[in-house]
Amino acid sequence: MLTALILIPLFGALLVALAPVRFARLLSTVVTLAALVVSVVAAFRFNWSYPGSVSFQQSYTLVEQLGVRLSVGADSVSLLLILLTALLGPLCVVGSYTAITTRVRNYYAWLLVLQAAVTGVFAAQDLMLFYVFFEFTLIPLYVLISLYGSTNRRRAATKFFLYTFTGSVIALAGLVYVAYVGYERNLGWSWSIAELQSAAASMTRREQAWVMLAMLAGFAVKVPLFPVHTWLPLAHTEAPTAGSVVLAGVLLKLGTYAFYKFVLPFTPLAVMQYAPAIAVLAIIGIIYTGLICWAQNDVKKLVAYSSVSHLGFCVLGLFAVNMVGISGSILYMLNHGLSTGALFFCIGMLYERYHTRSMDEMGGLSTKMPVFAFFLVFFTMASVGLPGLNGFVSEFMCLLGAFQSGADGPGGVAFGSLGPWFAAVAATGMIVAAMYLLYMVGRVLFGPLREPAGHHEHEKLPTDLSWREIGVLTPIAVLCLVLGLYPKPVLQSLEEPVAMVIDEIRTVNQRAITEAEQAMLADPTQPQTPVVLATETTP
Amino acid sequence: MAGIIANLMSGLAPTLATAHGAAGHAVTNGAHEAAAAHAATPFEFITPDAGPGFALLILALPLLASVLCGVYAALGIKGKFPAWSTVVLLAGSFVATLMAAGTVFQSNAPLIVHGFDWISLKWGNVPGQSLTANFSLFLDQLTVLWMLFVTGLATLIALYASEYMAGDRGYARFFGFFALFVFMMSCLVMGDSLVLLYLGWEGVGLCSYLLIGFLYKKPSAVAAAKKAFIVNRIGDLGLALGLMLAFTQFGSLEYKEIFRQVAELQAGVAHGHEVPWSIRAIPLLLMVGAFGKSAQLPLYVWLPDAMEGPTPVSALIHAATMVTAGVYLIARFLPVFELNPAALNTVAWIGCLTAFFAATIGMATYDIKRVMAYSTVSQLGYMFLGLGVLSSAGAGNHVVTHAFFKATLFLACGAVMHGFAGQLDLRRLSGLWHMKGWKIVSASMLVGCLCLAGFPLSAGFFSKDMIIAESFVTEGFGGSLLGLLALLTAGLTAYYTFRVFFRVFVGPVEYHAGDEHHGDDAHDDGHGFHPHAPGWAINTVLVTLSAFALAASIPYLIMWFGASHDGWITGLVSHSTAKASNITVGVDHTATFLGANPHFIMYFVSGGIGIVGILVAWLLHFRGRTEAATSPGAEEAARAVGPILTWATNKWYVDEFYDFLLRKPLWFLAHVFYFIDALLVDGIVNLFGWMPRAIGGSLRPSQNGFLQSYAVGMTGGLALLLVIVWIVG
Repeated sequence: MLTALILIPLFGALLVALAPVRFARLLSTVVTLAALVVSVVAAFRFNWSYPGSVSFQQSYTLVEQLGVRLSVGADSVSLLLILLTALLGPLCVVGSYTAITTRVRNYYAWLLVLQAAVTGVFAAQDLMLFYVFFEFTLIPLYVLISLYGSTNRRRAATKFFLYTFTGSVIALAGLVYVAYVGYERNLGWSWSIAELQSAAASMTRREQAWVMLAMLAGFAVKVPLFPVHTWLPLAHTEAPTAGSVVLAGVLLKLGTYAFYKFVLPFTPLAVMQYAPAIAVLAIIGIIYTGLICWAQNDVKKLVAYSSVSHLGFCVLGLFAVNMVGISGSILYMLNHGLSTGALFFCIGMLYERYHTRSMDEMGGLSTKMPVFAFFLVFFTMASVGLPGLNGFVSEFMCLLGAFQSGADGPGGVAFGSLGPWFAAVAATGMIVAAMYLLYMVGRVLFGPLREPAGHHEHEKLPTDLSWREIGVLTPIAVLCLVLGLYPKPVLQSLEEPVAMVIDEIRTVNQRAITEAEQAMLADPTQPQTPVVLATETTP
Repeated sequence: MAGIIANLMSGLAPTLATAHGAAGHAVTNGAHEAAAAHAATPFEFITPDAGPGFALLILALPLLASVLCGVYAALGIKGKFPAWSTVVLLAGSFVATLMAAGTVFQSNAPLIVHGFDWISLKWGNVPGQSLTANFSLFLDQLTVLWMLFVTGLATLIALYASEYMAGDRGYARFFGFFALFVFMMSCLVMGDSLVLLYLGWEGVGLCSYLLIGFLYKKPSAVAAAKKAFIVNRIGDLGLALGLMLAFTQFGSLEYKEIFRQVAELQAGVAHGHEVPWSIRAIPLLLMVGAFGKSAQLPLYVWLPDAMEGPTPVSALIHAATMVTAGVYLIARFLPVFELNPAALNTVAWIGCLTAFFAATIGMATYDIKRVMAYSTVSQLGYMFLGLGVLSSAGAGNHVVTHAFFKATLFLACGAVMHGFAGQLDLRRLSGLWHMKGWKIVSASMLVGCLCLAGFPLSAGFFSKDMIIAESFVTEGFGGSLLGLLALLTAGLTAYYTFRVFFRVFVGPVEYHAGDEHHGDDAHDDGHGFHPHAPGWAINTVLVTLSAFALAASIPYLIMWFGASHDGWITGLVSHSTAKASNITVGVDHTATFLGANPHFIMYFVSGGIGIVGILVAWLLHFRGRTEAATSPGAEEAARAVGPILTWATNKWYVDEFYDFLLRKPLWFLAHVFYFIDALLVDGIVNLFGWMPRAIGGSLRPSQNGFLQSYAVGMTGGLALLLVIVWIVG
């Protein structure tokens, strides 16, 4: 099932590249729709009673000696993200109909390859496979940006590639080390994520800290976390619309997904100890980049920076290490993909008509484009975190998780190591978000009408949105509303996997505390070294 | 009138002297027993029952109306369909509220109506790791009280708007937002958890944003809308944090669980237990949210600007309903506030100071709609004062009476604005009473002004007095300073209210048209401007509302003759969580004001002060309107109060203060950050990016930089890997 989901767009890409140009749009639409249908079928066949266990498992040994296997499968978290990817696929294709007029086949082929790669990342149950897909996503996006982007595309693409690539190489080092530890414990190479988990957790505190640092280097670039975020605004601004949508919608989630999948369970001791430091980075990101958004004149750059700000909430929720925080964070991944993806679509539609992203040159557009105005306000409100729409539930849960983090849990181990102050400071980000997003909406939509000098109507596009464009935005809007009002099914499916992760983290920490206590008791002569306990946080 | 009062005095004085029936306190004993009366009973919470499902219609009908308007807008349907469907559905919502009220009155316990599961996260029995916030309603008498005037006023104002907004391009859009507002307000008031309250809280903020900025081509309207949303968000931050703290402390956000635990805490307080600081901090955070939404100091700046919205919006949202959300929040959580007397103290002082400051600005404002806006801020201040001195009943009474008379005032102002092409300057309008077709507007304005000024025996008079009197008897709030300031404010209120009335509605007929014209103003060709008097819809609504505003005093009068100062709404408030238990704050029943029981004497004192205010207004703005401007004394007087006047006219420079202290620095910071981001944060990265290219370039100059850095990156990564293995292993 999942293999099919990777192969359909991959072969589709081949087909699109080889078929005559005039079929390119149609073919890629059909391929992405097929992938969407398959993913929906997968969702129906998924075992929702045990959302924490891996369904659709398929495994095939690639390199016997090294234990590398082609192993795919999905728990509810992976499946939800795969669904998001599959949903954005056809929307990106349809959204690019009029925007891309040259080298059409090439464009759609790479778009499909990108979808296959991202799906692969989420489906991988093998560390090596994960890493291969993770790196592989860079190539199609590099091509998309460098060939189809705007003026500065070369520089943006190169920077994006080098930046994220360098990061992931360091992450690889960390991951390989974990596999090496597993090799020593189990006397054999295995890259299975599930098998490595227990081995990884047995690392010493110091080892874990290093491994976490290495993983952070790679994954934090991807998220992106302050201060390694500077590639993102550039890449977003220069990328074609669909590129931005995929970038914001799913590619950034690779980072947070990897945090959830590897950093949390592989390095439980380090997570508890260094979560506050990471949270501080996330909070700086929320406020610092939020304020930067306010200083933007380029509307696309504004939304790009807002992505950095928003994902700060996501990281904050993850490192709260409690039910509310982590579930909220995973929900945030979905919601951010929808609302920010949609905002990029909106801006792309504007760009197609006006060929500018500068808010100085356009304004008061709601008179001319009421339908567009509706959608832009709608997605802005989803992004601001207005209750009733999707953004609220997850943002609220991330903050609530951080606030509550550090509360005592059974067994003397706290749930997480953050606290109210983290949430309180991060929550000011809600005000900043309202400031810059309303600033954007106010300038683009309201006030007297302003249009770029020498503007004339697009020959193919109507003044307001076309039915095709409405068709692209409507499914996202509906999902935003549904996830805002009835997130219960999603949240329920997250309960089990998240509980498993938290249990793992707490068990390992508990064991560490017990061992430290026993060591102290056994050797009273030794000077007492202060043991950093996760419980040592203010309630 | 004076004779009647004297009669009443002599007849009732002996009874009243011993009847200390302070609102909500089941204390009617005399002065000797005052000390014993301190044995306040802790707050009790009865486990809720399941309520009737039809109550969901109260929310569903406005939502349906909103969706219908969206459909009309999408299909481009012209005509008054949006108005009629909205009016009918809102009326349906009102009827449903009435029916729900019937059920609630019969029930002893609060009722919970389950809608559907909204946010639900469970993890076995692990404490604090489950989160439940359902889309469910919590019905008690406080809810019903609020919903009755929300849906009732919304219906009437929608009817008014059907005429007022006629000819506007965004007719359907207006009613869509309007109905959405009612839905959100219902969520706020009826939600059974803090999360649903928060949904409504932010939702009404959104509708307020959309409706203030309704005339989106006007830059001032867009700016005002943005300001309202952002200032409200600052308050919301407090609410959100309070909510999170409540969750960590109570393990739940549902009222039934919170109040159950609060009841236990209060019982603990009665036995001398300490309340932990983490719980005492909750009201401190919640009240920040209340200050934002209800436009109290220092967060009131958005409300006067919000008058950029169409007048029906100002009447419904920014006078009668949404701005009382803060009062609702504190009233609802009064048992929590009672756990921290400092919080109550703050609420009382903030309310009192806001009432005073807003009144001074109201005295110096020329735009009649903004005068009303400042009076709203000021009256809300009274309500907060009432809550702070634990007269939740007084606050509840004042909310309801204020809702009616302030809506009347706004709608009358709106009729003026509508008829005179946007003219609102009280210096440019005069003698409307004597103009044809303006009698109803003028009369309802008079009714509203009398109530607002606290003219004896009007509804506003009774409800305001409950609050002022209570501030004299509640202990520990800076003596009688609060009450005296509130009394002074009452005089100022009477003055600025009648300043508007005497200027605009009486005197010689004289007017200048404004510069805003409706789409259907065919009669306006720039020269011969004819004000058009309101039609039947506006007049009907004005008559109905002023009738309500007048009739609201009848129950007070009846009770007054029955020697009760409780007010007719008190019963509703005290059958809810808003009932004050006085567990931490005592009531000094021996306190006197001018040698008499404050509750009794206040009627005469504040009534007298109100009349003085009206007389001053009459002197300055009616009788001596022309002389005042020319006589030498006036000039000197003007010079004497000059600086104060300038400050008041400029709203005490609070906007400038915020701009200077917050907006400008943040704006500057934003640009500095952007600069740093581009130069420093990115610069360091670029430096790293440049290094391998430089090294690689020196090694193999013939190849392009890209592949080299790729290779260098890979080698570097592997090297790093080895280093790490070597260090840690």
